[in-house]
Amino acid sequence: MKLLNNRMTTVVLLVAVVLTMSVFFTSFTSNMRLPDNHQGFEPVQPIAYSHRLHAGELGIDCLHCHGGAEQSRTAGIPPASTCMNCHQFVTASILSVREEDKLAAKESRPPRKIVSPDLQKLYRAVGLNEMGERDISLTAEGIEWIRVHSLPSFVYFNHSAHVNSGVACQTCHGNVETMERVRQVSDLSMGWCVNCHRDANANGINAKPVNASIDCDACHH
Amino acid sequence: MKDHLHTSEDQLNLPEEFSRRSFLKLAGFTFAGGVLAGCQQSNLEKAIPHLIKPEELVPGVPLWYASTCAGCSAGCGVLVKTRDGRPIKLEGNPEHPISRGGLCAVGQASLLGLYDSQRLGAPLAHGKESTWEQVDAAIKAELEGIRKRNGAVRFLTGTITSPTTNELVRRFLSTFKDARHVVYDPVSSSALLDAHERTHGVRALPQFRLEKATTIVSLNADFLGTWLSPVEFTKAYRQGRSLQGTPPVFSYHTQFESRLSITGSNADERVSVSPVELAHVASRLLSLLTERAGRRLPVAVPLLDERLERCTTECVERLWRTKGKSLVVCGVNDVAIQVVVNAINEVLGNYGSTIDLNRSSYQAQGNDTDLAKLLDEIRSGNVSALFVDGVNPFYDLPGAQELAAACETIPLPVSFGERNDETAEHMHYVLPQPHELERWNDSEAIAGIVSLTQPTIQPLRPARPLMETISIWMGTKESAYNLIRAEWERSIFKRQTREQSFTQFWNKTLHDGFAIVEPKRQAVSSFNPAAVAESLRQLSTQSLQQKLFVELHASSTILDGRHAHNAWLQELPDPVTKIVWDNVASLSRKRAESLNLHEGDVVRLNREGGRVIELPIHIQQGHQDDVISVSLGYGRKGTDRFHHVNPKWLQAKPTVEKGGTVGTNAAPLLEWKGKTLSYFVSGIEVERTGTNRQIAVTQEYDFLTNPNLLGESSGEKRNIIQQASLATFVANPSAGSFPKPPLDSLWPEEHTYPGHRWGMVIDLTACTGCSACVISCQVENNIPVVGKDEVARNRELQWLRIDRYYEEEGETLRVAHQPMLCQHCGNAPCETVCPVLATVHNSEGLNQQVYNRCVGTRYCANNCPYKVRHFNWFQYPRGDEIARMVLNPDVTVRDRGVMEKCTFCVQRIQLAKIEAKNEGRALRDGDVKSACQQSCPADAIIFGDVNDPNSEVSRKMKDPRTYRVLEELGVRPSIGYMTLVRNSDGIAVAEGGMKNG
Amino acid sequence: MAEILSTLRPPLVLGNKSYADITDDVCSALERKSSTGWWTSFIIAVGVLILGAISVGYQLVTGVGVWGLNNTVGWAFDITNFVFWIGIGHAGTLISAILFLFRQRWRTSINRSAEAMTLFAVICAGIFPIIHTGRPWFAYWFIPYPNFRGPLWVNFRSPLVWDMFAIGCYLTISALFWYVGLLPDLATIRDRAKTMWRKKIFGFFSFGWDGSNRTWQRYEKLYLLLAGLATPLVVSVHTIVSWDFATSIIPGWHTTIFPPYFVAGAVFSGFAMVLMLMLIVRKVMNLEDYITLHHIENMTKVIIATSGMVGLAYITELFVAYYSGNPYERFAFINRALGPYGWAYWLMVTCNVVVPQFFWWKKIRRHVGMVFILSIFINVGMWFERFVIIMTSLTRDFLPGSWSGFTPTILDITTLLGSFGLFFTLFLLFARFLPMIAIGEVKGVAGVKRATPPGAVEKRKEVAHEPAPVG
Repeated sequence: MKLLNNRMTTVVLLVAVVLTMSVFFTSFTSNMRLPDNHQGFEPVQPIAYSHRLHAGELGIDCLHCHGGAEQSRTAGIPPASTCMNCHQFVTASILSVREEDKLAAKESRPPRKIVSPDLQKLYRAVGLNEMGERDISLTAEGIEWIRVHSLPSFVYFNHSAHVNSGVACQTCHGNVETMERVRQVSDLSMGWCVNCHRDANANGINAKPVNASIDCDACHH
Repeated sequence: MKDHLHTSEDQLNLPEEFSRRSFLKLAGFTFAGGVLAGCQQSNLEKAIPHLIKPEELVPGVPLWYASTCAGCSAGCGVLVKTRDGRPIKLEGNPEHPISRGGLCAVGQASLLGLYDSQRLGAPLAHGKESTWEQVDAAIKAELEGIRKRNGAVRFLTGTITSPTTNELVRRFLSTFKDARHVVYDPVSSSALLDAHERTHGVRALPQFRLEKATTIVSLNADFLGTWLSPVEFTKAYRQGRSLQGTPPVFSYHTQFESRLSITGSNADERVSVSPVELAHVASRLLSLLTERAGRRLPVAVPLLDERLERCTTECVERLWRTKGKSLVVCGVNDVAIQVVVNAINEVLGNYGSTIDLNRSSYQAQGNDTDLAKLLDEIRSGNVSALFVDGVNPFYDLPGAQELAAACETIPLPVSFGERNDETAEHMHYVLPQPHELERWNDSEAIAGIVSLTQPTIQPLRPARPLMETISIWMGTKESAYNLIRAEWERSIFKRQTREQSFTQFWNKTLHDGFAIVEPKRQAVSSFNPAAVAESLRQLSTQSLQQKLFVELHASSTILDGRHAHNAWLQELPDPVTKIVWDNVASLSRKRAESLNLHEGDVVRLNREGGRVIELPIHIQQGHQDDVISVSLGYGRKGTDRFHHVNPKWLQAKPTVEKGGTVGTNAAPLLEWKGKTLSYFVSGIEVERTGTNRQIAVTQEYDFLTNPNLLGESSGEKRNIIQQASLATFVANPSAGSFPKPPLDSLWPEEHTYPGHRWGMVIDLTACTGCSACVISCQVENNIPVVGKDEVARNRELQWLRIDRYYEEEGETLRVAHQPMLCQHCGNAPCETVCPVLATVHNSEGLNQQVYNRCVGTRYCANNCPYKVRHFNWFQYPRGDEIARMVLNPDVTVRDRGVMEKCTFCVQRIQLAKIEAKNEGRALRDGDVKSACQQSCPADAIIFGDVNDPNSEVSRKMKDPRTYRVLEELGVRPSIGYMTLVRNSDGIAVAEGGMKNG
Repeated sequence: MAEILSTLRPPLVLGNKSYADITDDVCSALERKSSTGWWTSFIIAVGVLILGAISVGYQLVTGVGVWGLNNTVGWAFDITNFVFWIGIGHAGTLISAILFLFRQRWRTSINRSAEAMTLFAVICAGIFPIIHTGRPWFAYWFIPYPNFRGPLWVNFRSPLVWDMFAIGCYLTISALFWYVGLLPDLATIRDRAKTMWRKKIFGFFSFGWDGSNRTWQRYEKLYLLLAGLATPLVVSVHTIVSWDFATSIIPGWHTTIFPPYFVAGAVFSGFAMVLMLMLIVRKVMNLEDYITLHHIENMTKVIIATSGMVGLAYITELFVAYYSGNPYERFAFINRALGPYGWAYWLMVTCNVVVPQFFWWKKIRRHVGMVFILSIFINVGMWFERFVIIMTSLTRDFLPGSWSGFTPTILDITTLLGSFGLFFTLFLLFARFLPMIAIGEVKGVAGVKRATPPGAVEKRKEVAHEPAPVG
């Protein structure tokens, strides 16, 4: 009876100790997620726009579409009109167009216009019909992109300040030019920001000395 | 600033896609950020970009438009800050000749009106929503009928400064046989114009040049508060009272008034007089001055009592010494007094120097005589069409009921307005007007100064400006833009010679917001003394024996009531009484005691003719014993919308009862004296109701001296406000300074400020207490309105408050206004006590408050010696989705449970630094202007980098007048205050001072 | 082993008891069905507790605004209650630790319940610093823990952080101290237990205590060590709490006298509270033989002493305020006595300085009823002391323009009541399920006639539990 009591007690105490210790350590070692950390977030977008194709293969500069990054707080999502600059002409992938040409040649008829399904969505959004032709009966909808990188709203991040002092887009966004679908690469935690600022103050950005503030109100105001 | 300005023209031919809908989406998107502050982010946040982006618009970058303020008819120039297609801030346009960069509280708050979801969305026909087509058709038909039978058409408006509108109205009325345009101002200055008609043969409002006056005598004219053009006057007043130069050019200002007004609180000498005494003082001044001029008056003027005799003689002395450089203004709407005042100015030769009749002002065009005539016509039922615009006769005129009854007989009553107000109720048709920020408009407030108003947002409500309506009725379907352009090309362009082509002229004006052109000439005849004698006779008949008057005056926040729907202004403490969300019957302590009344006791003011209003009383220092003053503009219909502007909880009292109104309408007490409206009403009896109503004030103790707890002598005076008289200042620039406490510390300096160090200097001599800064701060920093109950519980949230202190020396009352905001102490008591490092010092001397880190222990607020920290006791309501569009996306919206306080507009600092960095240049002095500084009409606030030796602020910091409040605590505040200097020396001393200065 | 009986000293336990009697007297209370008296008081206590719980819940949902606080007065009832309860707690530690080290043997019959009281008081106190914050769900930010914010630590200069540590360690130590003291008695109850469950439960919590000599020795050592650890806490905790005010710059708070002043006050109020409870307990649980008039008298003497200190503190404050020549300081104290909250000040002075003087009369010291009433007065007075300090200083600080007042809301009051509800609920549960009196220790001090009580089994068990002479 007494012995058993002793044992019970010891066991209970041991378990308690082990538990607390383990919890404490895992908080560093394991890759536990904090509530607001959406690292790796990779939503399916309404239009399967491929950064790999545009930024990677075609090598279009980030700022060509996200011009805001140079002048504004937000890099901005390009207006549909920007897409239309090219896509009023480019309606489908070159391969499918060649296909059609071949087919047409075989059937000895003028090639039909091929419109890839995703571009059809774009055309509808700006108020054209699926073939990308004007149609007064249609109205413009606008495209509801899903936001990938979003900071808590009490954080004020200014793109222009970073871009103009030479921080590469990839530093925070990762190699978007290799991504078929955009994924949040960094955890965007405060520690991540601050440490980068500290590092910048110590080593500068591409060896150019900078003054990256680590005052709270540089971001929180 | 200037080269940043944009013009709305490119928005005229915006692609259809940039419709209100897509704009709202965008707004929704950008402002989602704003409100969710502190909440969890949902990882499925939608982002809807433009389909076709307007050329000049970069999301997240503000655009500025020069425009014209419509808060009142003073026509100040504003710069409208828009973010992502929505205006979020109004600021003074530094180039504008009228306001010169200042913008009053009312003007700044008028922004909120734009986002008012209770504005009319469609025209009303007989109280029911209708369409423009139907309404136009119906009205046109009616008009045809009237035209045929030569019915009387009357156009009743407030002062309209828009030349285009006036021209259109004229043309429109000219198509009728019997048509008249009647103008009146709810708070009328008609007598002032009539007087000039009698004395100078032209019914015009002269332009008063206070900056040129070395002696200013004001008879009940609250020119720093609500009279005519406060911002213009404040600027000028300050210009004439500068302490630069030796001897300094510092005007002397005497105020004869019956209640304590803002102007009175700033006067060098303030004489409280009853309305009757006021009249006699005027005549007495004239008689004494004419004697000085070696002439005699046709009428004998009785002597005044000893006190007034002394004051008037000194006034006369000073006036006479500064002949031609003096100015006497009078705010009493009584032709006789005004004529006498004109005579005084004539004797002093002020016409042509401090009073400009050639460049007259159109800021008040009201004509009570016309109004009276119209009212008679209406009563006798000979009006067949009545158009009402910009005024609210069924609210702001006495005897609204009879008027309403009479109006039943009018076949076609139509009103234009933004809301369904008291007048609209009695109209067959109500045609909604767009908000001034949604429309094109123009203005000529002072002859020769023309300015433009341009739309800064796609209309939120399908409203139609008056001028378009008229053009449609006249068969020419022109847009306001084209109408204005045409009118300007026709008349205004010709009045200038600088620009050759109209397009150039137009574009320049549109960019600058204004243009200077030749004023319209008017035949000003030389002074006609005939009128004077008769006026003097009238005045002398008034007996000096004691009787009780009620003085009705415009509210310094919501004016004549046109801004009663504006929560910001309703919660703006009255600069003198510090009362919010209510109007009261102010009276002197003596009178209150004689009536055995206590603060908040509700009294019934009875006037013969069964006109009764009930108000709580407020005991006011410096109030004349025979006068009870009541503010107009309250008791507006529909103000019960503020029923739950304050948070709901167990013991919460609603700000206003359901179906009730904020305050009480005092207009019924107004009185017709002959053909002018009188704001001094006699024959009033005061009756106690026995009930008591809580008055919400933001300052509970009004004195610099401790209460006498140990008997009379013990009330010790606190060293908070440095004061000096001009003479002593001239003799010694650091006169009145408090002893400098020893501040050496054993500890090494904790903060070094390698880069910038932000600081502020507030000149108490300049500050008039007008409270423009309070609103400016509230708008810029997303400070919510908390409602009457919360204010009564001393939980107001405005980051910047203006402490108002009284000092009574015998019968003279000294008033000091002290703006009090976070002092950003170098040694901040709040920083050491916060357990979670939510408030910490930054490398540039700012005391940061990090909302998202704050746990809300309130320890910092307790330990703050200035008590400038404000706590979010609840989740304060921020209105509907439309109302929330006013939020500044650069400032976090605080949740409940966090502390907040002035940040020195850190968002502006950060932005300016980034802009400078992007342009690869250093920050210049003046790149960062705090919100409170930007629009201060008195330029009392200077903000900048103290580390920069050439910055204005660092120069001011070294000024011998500069001191710090509670310096002895060693908290090292970053805000310096400058000694309050008054020109208060007796005349002999003043002279002496000037000599040895 | 048995106490040497002195003819000079009054006996610590009356009605010359045998060990068996002592055990019975204490344990039987826990073994018989609970009296209606207990039930009624328990139901009332729980009722009040629920009331408090509801109001706190409402406050958490709605906001701190439901209290009467405002921009000028950031703290009122909340922190007043906090300091009050912390103060109450002090007596327990003082009695159990310091009196133990000073070999004040009369403490034995009251120390158990005094420690329990400490524990419960600290629990009540601990609630307020958390619920008084605007966002209690973030209160854990007070604790320095590794984080992903850069990292961002706490402000070690803030007295609130010191509080957190002080209270935390106070709670732990006093809990340990109390529990360790309980062990032998838990064992006793275990051995007397009739039902299997009772045996199991008490068996578990008594950590398999066997009355062996070894166990007793370990026990004594541990107890002594804990006493040593607890002693500095008596001084430290309330000193640190007083720093919340002393380190600030508000006139009337910024005072170097606060630490001793607060500690004295704490002990003062604590003893008053102990007295209140003891007087009830000895009546309800009829323990008059153990908690004798002698005990009561001793405690009242401590009260006189501490009341003297508190009184001295009040006078010193006034003098220093006058002598400092600091206008704000001066006014703060003039205002404290004559300002809008003067009534509270004089109430405090009466209750804390005037009232205790009655204890100079032996008659009153030994008159249970009087002692009870007076000690209530003292507790009221001490609550008001904290209220006065906080309120008068905050409402009238530096700039007259920001002066203000404070009126409590309903929820201020219900929350205060609630904390009492919690306190008494816990104490009643303790009284019902655990021995109110340290059986082992009392036996150590009880003069016992060597009688062989009937029932050999009984006797054997007793011997097993005979304590080694203390120390």
